[in-house]
Amino acid sequence: MNKSLPERRPFLLLVLLLSSLLVLMSSQVRTGRGTSLLEDSLLNVTGPLVRGVSGSAGSMAGLWTSYVDLRGVRAQNLELRYRLGRLEEQGREGEEFRRENLRLRELLDLKRAQEFPSLAAEVLALGSVGQSRTALIGRGTRDGVRRDMPVVNRHGVVGRVIAVGERVAKVQLLIDPNSGVAGIFQRTRGQGMVVGMGDRGCRMEYVSELENVEVGDVVVTSGLDQIYPKGLTIGVVMSVEEGDQLTKNIMIRPEVDFRRLEEVLVRLNPETEGPQREVSP
Amino acid sequence: MKSLWRGAAGLLAATAGQFLLVRYLPALGRSVDLFTVLVIFYAVTRRRIGVMMMGTAAGLTEDLLTHTFLGMNAFKKTLVGYLMGTLGSFFMLSQPIPRFGVLIVATFLEAVTEAVLVLVLGQHLVLPNSSDLLWLGLGNGIAGILGYWLISKMVD
Repeated sequence: MNKSLPERRPFLLLVLLLSSLLVLMSSQVRTGRGTSLLEDSLLNVTGPLVRGVSGSAGSMAGLWTSYVDLRGVRAQNLELRYRLGRLEEQGREGEEFRRENLRLRELLDLKRAQEFPSLAAEVLALGSVGQSRTALIGRGTRDGVRRDMPVVNRHGVVGRVIAVGERVAKVQLLIDPNSGVAGIFQRTRGQGMVVGMGDRGCRMEYVSELENVEVGDVVVTSGLDQIYPKGLTIGVVMSVEEGDQLTKNIMIRPEVDFRRLEEVLVRLNPETEGPQREVSP
Repeated sequence: MKSLWRGAAGLLAATAGQFLLVRYLPALGRSVDLFTVLVIFYAVTRRRIGVMMMGTAAGLTEDLLTHTFLGMNAFKKTLVGYLMGTLGSFFMLSQPIPRFGVLIVATFLEAVTEAVLVLVLGQHLVLPNSSDLLWLGLGNGIAGILGYWLISKMVD
């Protein structure tokens, strides 16, 4: 049964009086730490309270600080996104430069290994009309490029120059059906003519059925066509079949990846006329 | 206001009586606590608020005289006065024998309360001698009966 406040008054007064007296006594008792029992008790009672209040105040302050910080976050976010985009772009450019650098180093190594002077050229475009396969390179007559000059990269024969402008030249690729390169099997020294077959690679013609040819044999230029110097890698024998006119049908997979041509070397003939800038022996 | 003056006069009389007993009859002074007698008189004749106020005042006065922890006797007498006042609201304590019993019980309750307080305050507990406590209870009982009789005669 609930009692009214007047009925509870004596008890409340008792509690008040006893508490006050207890506090009065506690203030006179000294603890081992030299403080009064009252101070110790107050410290123990108020410590967690103060800590809680302090924690709450800290949380509130943190919330306020977070709110203030959030106000600038949107603009900062946009700025950071913009900067991130720029950095990603720079990263991609850097990666591109790195890869280009690797390719050019390989080309440089190849250039140093060449017996004849050569000229590095950038592939500007790859042409593919029907079975025809050509490439446009960024070198022309003013650089000393002439018609029928062989074009190579570090993997092997790329093709030959079939048309020359002042600053650009058109290259007929090895896989062009109208292309023909005098080839020789590196292992057996058997000769033939390598003809382009578009995306299917190349075919080697005029190889006697008596010739000992195996899949995997390497085919290099023989130099007999007066265009390509002897010893340039053309490709690897992919398949060998018996032909119908005492010859073999030999399919060759070119060493050069014609879908990923970016830089090439134009081999200059020693008797080439005109300027030969950036030419090295 | 009148009751306040009466209370003050009673407190003054108890203080003077206790002082004189301790000074001139020390053995009797150790066996009688006139402050307790006064508080229990209030407990059986007055309302509980008055009892507590008297308990606190009498206890503080005793503390000042005995140089113990200030508040120790006040705490004991306030609590015991309240309990005895509550007891008086349930039982008839107007006769001498019940009052005698209440005074003895109050004396023991005070001793127990003091022991608990000493423990709570972290002090070294020395239990009172049981015979001393018994003599104090008897002394308080007798002093109470005599005092209450005297007061009733004065009032009449």
